[in-house]
Amino acid sequence: MGITRRRFLGYAAGAATVGLRGRPLDLWRLGRSVGTSRSCVLLDLKAHGCLSDSVSGYESVLTSAGVRWMRAEARSVSPARGAVLIVPAALEIPPAAVQAIVSYLQAGATVILESGAGFAAGREFRVHRVELRDYLRVRVEAPVQLWSAHTSSQGIPYVDYSWPHSAKVRDFSRVVPLGPQAGDVIAWVDGLPVALKRHGGRGTLVFLGSPLGPALWAGDAEARRWLFDCLGEAGGCAEPAIS
Amino acid sequence: MKKAIGDNMILKEWGLDKGLELVKQAGFDGIELWLGDVPWFQMSTTDSEVGELRRKVDNAGLVVSNVSTGLHWASPLSARDPKVRALAVRIVEREIETAVLLGTDAILLVAGLVTAEVPYNEVYQRCLEALRPLGEKAARAGVRIGCENCNAEHRFLISPREFWQFLNDVNSPAVGIHLDVGNIHDTGFAEQWIEIHGPRITRIHVKDVMKKRGRCGDQSVYTNLFLGDNNWPAIRGALTKVGYDGWLVAEMEARYRYAPDLQFHDTAQAMDRLISGRL
Repeated sequence: MGITRRRFLGYAAGAATVGLRGRPLDLWRLGRSVGTSRSCVLLDLKAHGCLSDSVSGYESVLTSAGVRWMRAEARSVSPARGAVLIVPAALEIPPAAVQAIVSYLQAGATVILESGAGFAAGREFRVHRVELRDYLRVRVEAPVQLWSAHTSSQGIPYVDYSWPHSAKVRDFSRVVPLGPQAGDVIAWVDGLPVALKRHGGRGTLVFLGSPLGPALWAGDAEARRWLFDCLGEAGGCAEPAIS
Repeated sequence: MKKAIGDNMILKEWGLDKGLELVKQAGFDGIELWLGDVPWFQMSTTDSEVGELRRKVDNAGLVVSNVSTGLHWASPLSARDPKVRALAVRIVEREIETAVLLGTDAILLVAGLVTAEVPYNEVYQRCLEALRPLGEKAARAGVRIGCENCNAEHRFLISPREFWQFLNDVNSPAVGIHLDVGNIHDTGFAEQWIEIHGPRITRIHVKDVMKKRGRCGDQSVYTNLFLGDNNWPAIRGALTKVGYDGWLVAEMEARYRYAPDLQFHDTAQAMDRLISGRL
């Protein structure tokens, strides 16, 4: 690993507990000069991410909305480049990605970390769980298959978000539920907590146990609104120019 | 036009050799080989075994009309699970490889499967993403991919305009439609599908359909040619209009309960009448 657990905990312990605030949303709209290069960075995990449609979802929505964003590999990510780091469909989280996440949090940015482990099993999932626990202090439970318990009479197991605003987003068949831990649970599905918001360093970590990217890719308007409100809360990238 | 029938119509107890003999005797020109549906043609069948399969077809005086598969019903290109999706892609790749080995230039696949769990918009995007690179691969091999219209069964691309737009979005000359004139049921008219898709039609499955029945228990909605509700003179006219001169491939779901070999003969004769236009 490029970063030790001790070093990460050192970062976290020494950091302020409030996230980055205050960048006016309208400064981030399309066509406005904001006098800064900070924008949204999509972390490209390549072989380590397992849901290409999630990556495509974020890419298509950020592009169509005119948000300033860039796709970057973990090794080349610098916190100065962005107010928000999005990590789509992470499965194995390589050391360079952990380092990027931690450095973003340290710099006061928001990190949206999406688990892509819903379909993982055995060793793949164990590694994912250990990495989340040891390096990011996010505790997750084994994936849950939502549809095995859902017949047509029980309806669709939508993911209900409560932050930054209430939103109902289509499920992705399997979720990685949260274990008991510090932070605010911001989404539930079928009584399972599946998304978390927590201050880390000077920034904010938003962990999604149900991937949002595929819903973005499929054109789910509520998923788009949720993402842009989330970006707006982070003080970056803000609202879509095209909805 | 030439006529073929699927090898999945050959009863297992007959075996391939006897089946090929029957297909030839009945008057067919070729045979459609179904990857994964018959014991002699599986994903595990090696290239040399595929070569042997081709020799048997040649020796029977037939040619392979196209390679098809039903494996995508269990492993669709539209699956959310990336491992299932990878398998689905591998199935298509194997179809392309075996088509080359078997000396044919067309394969069939079921493009996507809309379910209560996996919604339409996701299926659409995922199929596009899968088919674009597969189209390039097929083009390099000199093979065309025919996405079958399984309207009621896959609940996807149900109208001819939707299908047309989908193929536009795939945007590959190597990806077209394997048109099944029986699958349209009561959602439209086969002759209109033929007119709309014309040169994009890679192969045509022929069977008849009882449009008003709907599936009920083990009762099939499909039936032998000329027993159902398809307007065969209109279909024949549309084929002439668009200049289709390729393979017609018989695909029967309901089989004769008795004298099953007779179904091959009856079907071949019905197809002769369709081709000649004596309806």
